[in-house]
Amino acid sequence: MRVTMEDIELLDEEEFLETEKKVNQLIAVWEVKNLRGRAAIFHDDQHIGQKRKELKAMEHPSFDREGEIAFRMKPVVDSLEGNMLIHPLTTPVIEVDENCTKARATFWSIGIEGLSKFRETPMAILSLGMVPGTHVKMNGEWRILAGNWQRTTKNEFHAGWIHDMQVTNTRPPLTKEQDRNFLGRYAYMKDEVRKPVPCPPKKDTWEQFPDETDPSWQSVNLEE
Amino acid sequence: MTDMERKKALLLKINKLDAYTEIQNTMGRMIAAVNFRRNEEVLSYFALNREDVSFEYADEGVFRGKEAVEAGVKYILGEENRPGEMIDLQLTTPIIEVADDCETARAVWWSPGALSVLREGEDPQAQWLWGDFAVDFIYTENQWKIWHLHYFTVIRCDYRKGWVEDTSLINRKNEPMHAMSEPSTWHNPYHPKAIRYGIPAAPYPYDTWRKEDENWMLRNDKTR
Repeated sequence: MRVTMEDIELLDEEEFLETEKKVNQLIAVWEVKNLRGRAAIFHDDQHIGQKRKELKAMEHPSFDREGEIAFRMKPVVDSLEGNMLIHPLTTPVIEVDENCTKARATFWSIGIEGLSKFRETPMAILSLGMVPGTHVKMNGEWRILAGNWQRTTKNEFHAGWIHDMQVTNTRPPLTKEQDRNFLGRYAYMKDEVRKPVPCPPKKDTWEQFPDETDPSWQSVNLEE
Repeated sequence: MTDMERKKALLLKINKLDAYTEIQNTMGRMIAAVNFRRNEEVLSYFALNREDVSFEYADEGVFRGKEAVEAGVKYILGEENRPGEMIDLQLTTPIIEVADDCETARAVWWSPGALSVLREGEDPQAQWLWGDFAVDFIYTENQWKIWHLHYFTVIRCDYRKGWVEDTSLINRKNEPMHAMSEPSTWHNPYHPKAIRYGIPAAPYPYDTWRKEDENWMLRNDKTR
């Protein structure tokens, strides 16, 4: 049975406002999931310069628009043949602020990749990781303000994650140390205790960290 | 916005949220039925009362209409569940849009999965099967049903060899197509020489179902 206007009419003003706020927050959770799903599709489809729906908060004062555009235009492989970046999103935790204009989220992901940098036979890669991020509503749409991929493992498929860690593919290539300070900062190491980052956003994340540009909500577990 | 407009907006959002949950539950139940090879139950989630109900699987073609869908499900899933067989598909990365009239919905899921496939005279073969679902839903007889379902293969390969080394399973055997299937609309699984195109595309917000938009999942234009 669907809810009807008669049901809505039964709400007094206070109930209406509370219901409206809660419903808007639930819609926001849904729209953030859609947004991140779209971003996952674009991540796999690596056609440089292709016109696309904008998913990032390019107009936000804190957003590095020029850096983002430069990053997008830079090829990291000679050909798209054999390249693939499939990172399904699972385990969503999403917290929306009271005004429904900001949302923090974490997702987990088990992913598969194909990587061919110079048209060589691709490497099959298995990669575990997370997608922590902050999202803002701009011009009526949710956009990604911050947060990309945080790697846990990225190994040649046969080698396994104990014995192999591939670095993020960039041009020029990263050293292991540079990679460790980039997307591999919290990656698995067989001789290290795993760091509990990112912490999924807590229920009171927006009271604790009201500034949407503050990334410290992700690392609160490090302070324990 | 007037009070009445706010009430109408709230009503629409509540009904969309309800649809969002129902659609995910319907699809989840359908996938569980696939995994347990309960063919009759799988079919019960389809809008078989619609002449244009359809089911498309990889390069096996499109099964259109009640009889063809029934035949297609039986053909793809097999008629009996034999010892040692396993299908295990999971639904992740939901991107769901419910029409403003709440009569139809469009959705995409990414689906990591695994199989055990029987072989003559040896143990079953462990295989990876990862793909995507793009689905139209329709509200009929007071429930959400699968109207058009399209499964896209991303990888299918021997578990140990992986998706670069083993491409022997991504295309159908050169055998006659099922007599009730129409030509496939899209089949571009991962292959070391293939390029990814981000298809199925994400559904975009829409007000009501229009025939001209029926191939929303196949569009390579990602500006919407």
